[in-house]
Amino acid sequence: MPKPNDLEQKALQIIMSAGNSGLLQSELWRKLGASSREGSRIALKLESKGLIRRERELRNGRWTYRLYPKRLPASMDSIADCPCVMCPDSPKCGPAGNVTPQNCERLTEWLFHAAESTQDILGDS
Amino acid sequence: MLSAIDDATLMKVAEALGEEEAVKVIEILKNSDEITDDEIANKTGIRLNNVRKILYKLYDHSLVSLRRTRDPKTGWFIFHWKLQPDQLEGFILSQKRRVLEKLNIRLEYEKNHEFYYCYTPGCKRVPFEEAVELVFKCPTCGKPLMHYDNEKIVKVLTQKVEQLRKELGE
Repeated sequence: MPKPNDLEQKALQIIMSAGNSGLLQSELWRKLGASSREGSRIALKLESKGLIRRERELRNGRWTYRLYPKRLPASMDSIADCPCVMCPDSPKCGPAGNVTPQNCERLTEWLFHAAESTQDILGDS
Repeated sequence: MLSAIDDATLMKVAEALGEEEAVKVIEILKNSDEITDDEIANKTGIRLNNVRKILYKLYDHSLVSLRRTRDPKTGWFIFHWKLQPDQLEGFILSQKRRVLEKLNIRLEYEKNHEFYYCYTPGCKRVPFEEAVELVFKCPTCGKPLMHYDNEKIVKVLTQKVEQLRKELGE
């Protein structure tokens, strides 16, 4: 029997992986393998902790809740290709340094490349 | 705090560290509780000094923690490393903030300057003021400098800045 906390953590992970479209409370406990009583209690608890948001929804003539995560998992996708991430010149980069964002060749090259293929730059997010 | 980072993101962070070897090191760290640099080197086949270099890099960003013990026979220090997945989210956020700051500076610069370029690959673009001083001749290849339209670059930068702002909730 898993501790209630483990179940909560697992539930939160499932809700977070559902992303912005959220998921129905009934889907959640089916995925968790919990009963509807446990499931709705977990959802309530997560909501009171401020980790998720619940919205009432009519489904097959019954009122249920759709659960949305308040915070999406952090993702590197949007910056993964940018040269400023983990740049070796980072300590030298700034108004008083040898390198500045204005004259950085790495950044220029990246921008040139990105401007040529505008679609690529935004990545998945 | 509940950690909300999946393995794929962890691996992307490892890739961002710049080395393929970092990915291997993180893979090992992820699957073990606490491990010494020696053991990592043995398991991955990466040279010990490289393993240490990667570990120190990770340590710089608080992505791993470190415990030091003394070898009772030799008296040398043994370092035990441990991955700190709960630091990952903060790390990503701080990287994003830094990137946003840099891109913002660049965006302002691109918006406020006219650029001239000789259109030779490998040569630099120069801002108008500098181009005047150079009498519109490329200092590298000697070809005439022509006006360069940076509209696309401004557009790309604006989009990226917007996206990062949104992700950071600013």
